[in-house]
Amino acid sequence: MEVLSRTCVKQADNFNAFYSPEYWLQICEGNITAFGELVDHNFNPLYHYGTRFTPDKGLIKDCIQDLFLEIWEKRAKLTHIVSIKAYLFQSLRNNLITRIKKQSRFSDFSENEEFASQDDSPELAWITDETDALTSSRLETGIEMLPKRQREALYLKYYQDLSNEEIAGIMGLQKQAVANYIHYGILKLREYWKYKTILLAMIIDYIN
Amino acid sequence: MNNYKNFELKDWVEDPGFRRWVYRGEDDAYWTSVLKNTPLQAENIEQAREILLMVRGEADEIPEQELASRKANILDYISQETQIRSWWRRSWLQVAAVLLLTMGFGGYYYKRHSQPPYNAVLAQSGSRIIEIVNTNEAVKLVTLPDGSSVILKKAAKISYPASFATDKREVVMLGEAFFEVQKNPEQPFFIYAGEMLTQVTGTSFSIKANAADKQVQLVVKTGVVDISVIRAGNEAGNRHVILNPNQLVTLDRNSSQLAKKDVDEPVLIGLPIESQYFKFKKTPVKDVFLALEQAYGVHIHFDKQVTSRCNITAKLGDEPIREKMQMICEVIGAKFEMQDNAIAVFSNGCDITD
Repeated sequence: MEVLSRTCVKQADNFNAFYSPEYWLQICEGNITAFGELVDHNFNPLYHYGTRFTPDKGLIKDCIQDLFLEIWEKRAKLTHIVSIKAYLFQSLRNNLITRIKKQSRFSDFSENEEFASQDDSPELAWITDETDALTSSRLETGIEMLPKRQREALYLKYYQDLSNEEIAGIMGLQKQAVANYIHYGILKLREYWKYKTILLAMIIDYIN
Repeated sequence: MNNYKNFELKDWVEDPGFRRWVYRGEDDAYWTSVLKNTPLQAENIEQAREILLMVRGEADEIPEQELASRKANILDYISQETQIRSWWRRSWLQVAAVLLLTMGFGGYYYKRHSQPPYNAVLAQSGSRIIEIVNTNEAVKLVTLPDGSSVILKKAAKISYPASFATDKREVVMLGEAFFEVQKNPEQPFFIYAGEMLTQVTGTSFSIKANAADKQVQLVVKTGVVDISVIRAGNEAGNRHVILNPNQLVTLDRNSSQLAKKDVDEPVLIGLPIESQYFKFKKTPVKDVFLALEQAYGVHIHFDKQVTSRCNITAKLGDEPIREKMQMICEVIGAKFEMQDNAIAVFSNGCDITD
């Protein structure tokens, strides 16, 4: 256990040093070694993010590979980028959604409308979703009650450690909208959790 | 202990250390003790944990080996691009800068020493000429068409035909580099560096031939090297020497004199590989690969877990990297693919008896 946690800490340190502006500049100047490390550190996080949008794993991996080639191609023009991780996520998101939309011309894919960047009020979404949730009989995972975009914001914030500002950039939203998404998202998940516990308590009561 | 007692659900979710524990199991002992010491927070902690796991969803990762081959594909593709496009495809401003710099140094150089027409030498081969310049701080490995390895230091450059002539292998280089020449007596290997011509059949050595320096130097690590001066001057003197391991030759550009001397270690340009003989005794394969990565500036992708029981006992000498990889992979029963500076190793692991 000791050893395990130490290696984890070391990785985390590398991770931070890795996102330094100097490092990014080296990549922009054509340092292949540095670029290789960028690929190493980001392939899996990007892949996991990609699974939010499509179950087609091959498509996600191909999109990521293309994304890295694209970045290398135009690296000299990318020196102004400050948040590398946010840039990678945003680019993958755009490319992936474009590809999915192209595919969906031939298949039924109504869900992708949710990715569209319209600044709908999260409160409204919350209310409409509430009725959805009540009518829905399946309540195993509370996260499924939330609209896709709200889930995505929570995911980027907590699992990928991105700031509200970065998330706003990635999803094409206002910073305040991101803050709302996250605030109400947590409230709703807590509500769900309480609801589940009460339900459980009632069932146990009933059994007894 | 922190002010965890007053934490609310949102505070737990927002705590980066707490999240690392939930997602990656980091600092487990610490968070377990927090849980024990703040019993009133147990519900909040459990709730926060569950919410975070819901936010993540299924933890899906690409296996290490697939990741390695994906990465190798990417690096492979871009290093080919870099070589073919070379520098003329960059924006014209950069090209202008390169030209100016070349004229700055080169002009000075040309005044004092008229360099032999190297392009003519290579053009004889009749095939396309590839020029590679290492613009990075890190060393750059170049694998020649015959499999020979050349490690270029910063600013060093090498030109060679896309395929060598049948009777000889000729390359032109400038700067500081380390060579491991593929053994082939039928097809001698010639290196033009400044006014120095080096002929070998298969051996390893370092060359220091900077345009601005007054001398060109070479030190032999293994094998035998034949050195001569290209530009025939009027002065009488030593124009031809044969070098053995641990011998250093210096060519004075003004007098065109060659001077030979013995050295304790064949170290000339400060690369680790100059003094490394790759002797391994029951060495874990990950350490062997690390040594190769450091010596050649390559990336070796392999599954650390699968190969955790693979050990190597071997003496790898002056073979080019591809041959070294072949030997190692034969020993551990693995396969490998090499594209420029990226190597991917595919192994099913080793038995403990090894």
